[in-house]
Amino acid sequence: MDKKFDAIIIGAGVIGCPIAYELSKIGYKTLTVDKHTDAGEGSTAGSCAIVRAHYSTADGVAMAYEGFQYWLNWEKYLDNVKDEKGLARYMNTGSLLVKSQGHDWKKVQKNYDEVGVKYEEWDNDKIKKMIPIVDLHEFWPITRPEDPAFYNEPVKELEGGIFCPEGGYVNDPTLSAHNIMRAAEAKGAKFMFNAEVVDIRSENGKVTGITLKDGTRIDARIVVNVGGPHSFKINKMAKGVWEGCNIKTKALRHEVMYCPSPEGYDYLNDGYHMSDGDIGCYVRPEVGNTFLVGSEDPDCDPQEWVDPDTFYAGKGGHGKDNVLTEEQWKAQCYRLGKRIPTLSVPNQPKGVVDLYDCSDDWIPVYDKSDLPGYYMAIGTSGNQYKNAPVVGHMMAKLIDACEKGLDHDKEPLQYKFKYTDRSTNVGFFSRKREINYNSSFSVNG
Amino acid sequence: MKNIGVIIELDKGRVKEANLGMITLARAKDVKLFAFVLDKQAISVKAVLESFGITTIVEICLAKDQQNNPATRAKAMINAIKKFNISMVFGLCTAMGKDFLPRMAALLDAPLVMDCFFVDLEQKTARTYQYSGKIIATIQLSGQTLLFGIRPNAIEPVKAQEKARILKFDSSHVFAGGLRVLKSGGAEKSTAINLAEADVIIAGGRGMKNSENFNILFQCASKINAAVGASRVAVDSGWVPYSMQVGQTGEKVSPKVYIACGISGSIQHFAGMKTSGMIIAINTDENASILSNCDYYVKKDALEIIPVLTRILDNG
Amino acid sequence: MQIYVCIKHVPDSAANISIIGKNSIDENVNFLLNPYDEHALTEAARIKNNLPGTEVIAVCLGKADAEKTLRSALAMGADRGILIAKEKNYDSRVTALALKAAIEHDGKPGLIFTGKESIDEGGMQTMFRIGALFDFPVATNVVKLDIEADRAVVVCELSGGITHTYEMSLPCVMGTGRGLNTPRYPTFPDVVKSKKKPVQKIAFTDLNIKASLAGMRVIELKPLYQARQPKEIKGDATVVAKELIRILKQEAKVL
Repeated sequence: MDKKFDAIIIGAGVIGCPIAYELSKIGYKTLTVDKHTDAGEGSTAGSCAIVRAHYSTADGVAMAYEGFQYWLNWEKYLDNVKDEKGLARYMNTGSLLVKSQGHDWKKVQKNYDEVGVKYEEWDNDKIKKMIPIVDLHEFWPITRPEDPAFYNEPVKELEGGIFCPEGGYVNDPTLSAHNIMRAAEAKGAKFMFNAEVVDIRSENGKVTGITLKDGTRIDARIVVNVGGPHSFKINKMAKGVWEGCNIKTKALRHEVMYCPSPEGYDYLNDGYHMSDGDIGCYVRPEVGNTFLVGSEDPDCDPQEWVDPDTFYAGKGGHGKDNVLTEEQWKAQCYRLGKRIPTLSVPNQPKGVVDLYDCSDDWIPVYDKSDLPGYYMAIGTSGNQYKNAPVVGHMMAKLIDACEKGLDHDKEPLQYKFKYTDRSTNVGFFSRKREINYNSSFSVNG
Repeated sequence: MKNIGVIIELDKGRVKEANLGMITLARAKDVKLFAFVLDKQAISVKAVLESFGITTIVEICLAKDQQNNPATRAKAMINAIKKFNISMVFGLCTAMGKDFLPRMAALLDAPLVMDCFFVDLEQKTARTYQYSGKIIATIQLSGQTLLFGIRPNAIEPVKAQEKARILKFDSSHVFAGGLRVLKSGGAEKSTAINLAEADVIIAGGRGMKNSENFNILFQCASKINAAVGASRVAVDSGWVPYSMQVGQTGEKVSPKVYIACGISGSIQHFAGMKTSGMIIAINTDENASILSNCDYYVKKDALEIIPVLTRILDNG
Repeated sequence: MQIYVCIKHVPDSAANISIIGKNSIDENVNFLLNPYDEHALTEAARIKNNLPGTEVIAVCLGKADAEKTLRSALAMGADRGILIAKEKNYDSRVTALALKAAIEHDGKPGLIFTGKESIDEGGMQTMFRIGALFDFPVATNVVKLDIEADRAVVVCELSGGITHTYEMSLPCVMGTGRGLNTPRYPTFPDVVKSKKKPVQKIAFTDLNIKASLAGMRVIELKPLYQARQPKEIKGDATVVAKELIRILKQEAKVL
């Protein structure tokens, strides 16, 4: 293999692949390296791949709304490339945000208005009509099943929700990354697997390339860290980069559960994606008429910060490794069981345990770094899957502009969305920012 | 001199092949080998039994209406064991054995290890699988009479010619109260083998290309007593029903052998089958991750290999 | 009628089992209700629904943390639970003695259920030992069950879909198989109800089970397969197929 490229992208996940794709489209010779055997096999594979617009910041909402255009027109985005594995499918279910004390839904609604997101307000009667299996009592505050308060009888009723007809999920996140890889290859991008990066080399204060575990050295004037949960380890390999970030990233362990739909309810075909801050759960349909039950990280739940290498090796012990824990299985399923009293919870936990590449404020870092030529698309905090194609385009614009002399730290790039009539200040995602207290500090972003 | 007994399981009057490995395992120096036949067919099976080292064949004669009754059979067997001073009893861990050997052990209050694939007669230990087939356990038995349920075909049969005498052991008076056979043999349920319980699973993925091609797997599966599974892609594509899915969102399985046909081996798929005893991967894609995490692999199209496999199995 | 369901607290089949010392496993993994016992509990609850006045009692011989598995059984419809608290593991012979003693002490069993086997040790015999101790008839791998006034008609499955239909006098013991029913898993309201149900604890040592010479002792545990080392099978389709048959026969021993 040719050992010299314009840009090396570390990580062939759902964010890395579109960066490679967009850079290739504008003439960069790229190589994407990944320690896994194929695209999207890392933490992308553990993603719930939910596509929804509600974020706690207007920029967040705008970017997610822009993302819909890519998912809705997937073949067009891929430039009609063929993938022997088939194409990932976007399933539009519609998305219900329950009005609760767990979400600052008024802020979300304001953001929807500002960006022009289509939505309807549903009262409880309407929700019951659309989703007959739900109990709309308010269960707030969120507790754990070990806490006697978990079993308190609810008194009050909820106050409805905000329904976006646009929203849903992508049926196979790994495949979606693979699709983008094939599209990138059609534009000349190269991919290399089973390739673990052990060093980021630099000379005279400029990045010069990477070294792999087997000793292979590959040179490039641009290196992009899209290492997902490994991002902080990769940043530490590059001289001065980690130290130069005000916002840091860490790997957070996260469990997602699969629980069968109540008998007689066709959740797979009739159900919606639902964000329910009142019980700290989000759900979407999954094959086999199953609920995929994610957690919105309520304060009462422990946060397990882990070493990604130990975690993926299945080590570290209970609650630190990649085995589902019974406590969390019960917590998430029983919380959903309050909302859906007919939900049967099997005794054997089933689900996915993976890692978030979590930033200090749960907002990603899409930025250059203190080492010229080294860029980062990290800290996705479990809430960026839906934005991946937008981020690819934005990162390519950012890299191109910086390589052509833009001082992004001083005059942040204004990124103009391709579809939504709006620009966003890429400085919002700066590594140098102070912690953004507008954030939900959760998977909701 | 120790007396060891093997309980012979017949199929339509013939000694099932699996008995021969069991007899081989029970054979040792200073051991008198007794074969117990419960179906009044001692004469017809004498030749084959003595060619594997049996010296005494005990024909247990039950009353006609009790022949199918596992409780009566167990009672009669126990009488015979006592009568002939048998210290170790071997039986096959087949469906019939599972309904018979534990009855004997319970009535004798004697130790029993089921599903043994090896027995050490000297040490009085047996080896079996535990924890969904993930662990091999060595178990020591103690007591007057020891019982072993032997996994069929776990031991290669080796001949050892002897001459056998036939003894009749009249048990026509034996009768187990409380349990009566109303009907037997009727196949009331479908013959499809449960994924979770199967010893062998043949699973198809993207490489199967369509629904019709899964018939190739079903045909092969019927030859080797296997269940058919599928990867998520095959289910998502509508080729097979969800109930066949193996993986994180499907069934979690631990068969002795998992044959993956045209399955790339995603992490999600592995989550459902990584505890399989042996994994055999057939895949044309040499980058498929399953090829680096299996016991055997074939870099060929499963649609080409499996029909040939079925044909050879068909022709014996 | 009183229905006793004997349940077992077993490691999740999805757990990574690691061995400690020579003959025990690291028990610091997720334990749950033995899956075959779920069918027993579901069936007991169904019978209770049809026969008013029936009481379902779940009995478990287990270490202290087995109480949570008893709670799962209560959430699946058992009315109350008995935990025979043990400090170490026992073979199926002693297990049956303990279960028998606890049941006998507690009431008058009309039916006793177990799963057809446990997914950890898979001894497949406890139901028969319980039956022998009580002198009750026993059936295993039960896939259909009808309770009549003084008898049970059960269908047991043998391999290949062959079945036997037995008539059994009551009381009797039954090992339940997967074909019997679809387990009815608890809803959240069931879980809430189960928290109020009583669990009685008995110490194993209080049952005065006499030591015996006869028994089974695990002397060594070993993982079945270490890390896989892929080997390629080369050749044309016939050569490959023949080699596969050889592997299935001689190495895996499944043919």
